[in-house]
Amino acid sequence: MSFAKPTTLSREQVAEFEREVNTIRDSVMNNLGQADVDHMRNMIRISRASEIGGRALLHFGVGPLSWVAGVLALASAKILDNMEIGHNVMHGQYDWTGDPALNSQTFEWDIACDGEQWRHSHNVTHHTYTNILGKDRDLGYSLLRMTDEQKWKPRHWFQPLANLMLAMGFQYGVGSHDLEIGRYKHGAMPKAEFKARLDRFLTKVGKVWFKDYLLFPALALWSAPRVLAGNFCANLIRNLWTYLIIFCGHFTEGVAIYREEDTRNETKGDWYIRQLSGSSNLTGGRLFHVMSGHLSHQIEHHLFPDMPAHRYPEVAPQIQALCRKYGLFYNTGSLYKQYWTVMKRILTYTMPPKRVPV
Amino acid sequence: MQPSPTTATRTTAHVLARAVNTPLVKALGHPWVESIVRLDAVEDALSALHPLLSLTQVRARVLRIVDETATTKTFVLQPNALWASAQAGQFVRVQLEINGRRVERAYSLSSRPGARRIAFTVKRQDQGLVSNHLHTAVSVGDVLTISQATGEFVLPDALPANILLLSAGSGITPVMSMLRDLKARNYGGDVVFLHVCRAPDDLIFAAQLQALAADFTGLRLVVHYDASAGFFSPQVLAQHVPDLNTRSTWMCGPAGFMDAISAYWDTQGFDKQLFSERFVGAPLLPSTAPGTPVQVSFANSGTTFTTSGTDPLLVQAERAGLTPKHGCRIGICRSCQCVKTSGTVENLQTGEVSSAPNELIRLCISTARSDVALAL
Repeated sequence: MSFAKPTTLSREQVAEFEREVNTIRDSVMNNLGQADVDHMRNMIRISRASEIGGRALLHFGVGPLSWVAGVLALASAKILDNMEIGHNVMHGQYDWTGDPALNSQTFEWDIACDGEQWRHSHNVTHHTYTNILGKDRDLGYSLLRMTDEQKWKPRHWFQPLANLMLAMGFQYGVGSHDLEIGRYKHGAMPKAEFKARLDRFLTKVGKVWFKDYLLFPALALWSAPRVLAGNFCANLIRNLWTYLIIFCGHFTEGVAIYREEDTRNETKGDWYIRQLSGSSNLTGGRLFHVMSGHLSHQIEHHLFPDMPAHRYPEVAPQIQALCRKYGLFYNTGSLYKQYWTVMKRILTYTMPPKRVPV
Repeated sequence: MQPSPTTATRTTAHVLARAVNTPLVKALGHPWVESIVRLDAVEDALSALHPLLSLTQVRARVLRIVDETATTKTFVLQPNALWASAQAGQFVRVQLEINGRRVERAYSLSSRPGARRIAFTVKRQDQGLVSNHLHTAVSVGDVLTISQATGEFVLPDALPANILLLSAGSGITPVMSMLRDLKARNYGGDVVFLHVCRAPDDLIFAAQLQALAADFTGLRLVVHYDASAGFFSPQVLAQHVPDLNTRSTWMCGPAGFMDAISAYWDTQGFDKQLFSERFVGAPLLPSTAPGTPVQVSFANSGTTFTTSGTDPLLVQAERAGLTPKHGCRIGICRSCQCVKTSGTVENLQTGEVSSAPNELIRLCISTARSDVALAL
């Protein structure tokens, strides 16, 4: 891994690329309509039905099979709510509908991450400064060393373990991400601001714990342990799945990392190229795309964060064709292949960098 | 102003709905309850049970659609128990979803206040998105979402001795409601109802007007057909109603018509008041040339500043010493998104110029092209 080479494209080619990407964007954005809203409302209905079904199976079901079914239904509901619904709605993909239930700035989701803090850490920081070292705080989530350019410290020996912990508790990793604990520890953030952020995070954690680990188990009376364990497992499955998909978005082999000074005078075309080079896709069927919140189309998502995500499969071939035309790398592969390269990186950068003989 | 007494809408269902509804909505709005079950989910479930059921919205079923003329239809609706009541002359905002987008239009009610059923009348506009949708896509049995009645164009509690109700075209609806209200309140004074339209074929509420004229003693009904009787000017009005100066007047009609009447009122120096209701389909505001200094008001905080140059609204606001919430500054993150209540803006990324009321805009990629009011 090293910094992205300056693009070999001439200024004119970058401008031309920008125009072509804009044309693809407009082709979809100018014909948004009923079908898009219907898709989202349908997802919301399925997620709710799945949650009701899952919780009912955990509460009233008998035997281990109904417990497993309940866990899977509840996990699916949470995955849909977080990925295909929450993430996409909070990007403003449905603000054009004028439906307050789909308003990006007021939406709240079923996860230990406060919606407003997510909007800041994700929409502002990550989507604006994608893969700029030192600016994009998603690069290893301030926990993992994912590139040569990040300084090796002895704590990185524990990186494989840290990675496993992050995967299992991914909702807390995402939720605490906007606290910027590192900045606070280095004295770069006033205590009052950190305290306010921490309160917001803990309030949200309190809410999801109250719901999943207190209220619903209590309602189940003698089945409380069954419900508690079920809810815990549903959350765990959701955590592992979201971790898996999201890590394949920017940490695979071949994604470019940028220096801040190289991105200072970016045109929209340069920005498009950075978004494209810094993201990677996953191949799969329609169900897989939906269950990944269409983050299997991370490239298209980073080019068009406010385009309704279920339209990404429709524009992906056009973006791929553009990449061939301009000689840009379109990073895609199966979940298995992509995650394998992520694991390789995590393990590679666990080791201190080899000393170059003087 | 006190609303007219509306005994008819105080059914058991209404009383019950209010009693249960208010605490329930309050409870569902509590952040801890919201994290368990969202109000949206409750609302959707209720709609699925019965399309009129809602804790927060007035919904109304279309009972009848009356073809008034070739281009106007009256929609008679039965609202759910959340409907409070209306005063004569008020309007409702009808909310529709057309091809995935929510749109709202205000329509004056023509029904008598306190009636169980409410009615509004829609003239089909050539390019009118909403009027065409209502004419072609809405049928009997459909359920519409409407706002509570609102508006300042109403009759006072203490009625004057002489009244003129003056209307043109589809402006007849609010004054029709007033006329029905006068009848219901056993108004003993003298009322002239003067309506202007092109020809007898274009007369809305023809049958109802005739019925009212027959058994409302104090009413004189005048219809001016300008196709046969010639252009209707304020002078023509003075011929029809010689004692104009003695009449408190409520008028509604096209802008040009009302402007002419208002100007006449001023030049004649009439001392009786003239009230008017301006209703416009979708206001098309003029847009100034880019860079023209305009007034931007942050309505919620009560601050106003004047723009200079063609910078986005975010930069303009910061220059004026304000600190609106924002993030990326390049139109990606939507942190600076807010509701533009009125005015014309240009989207710097698409070049689109829009005057729609109550639309979401992003401060960092929008410039003002007229005076703008923001809900900030």
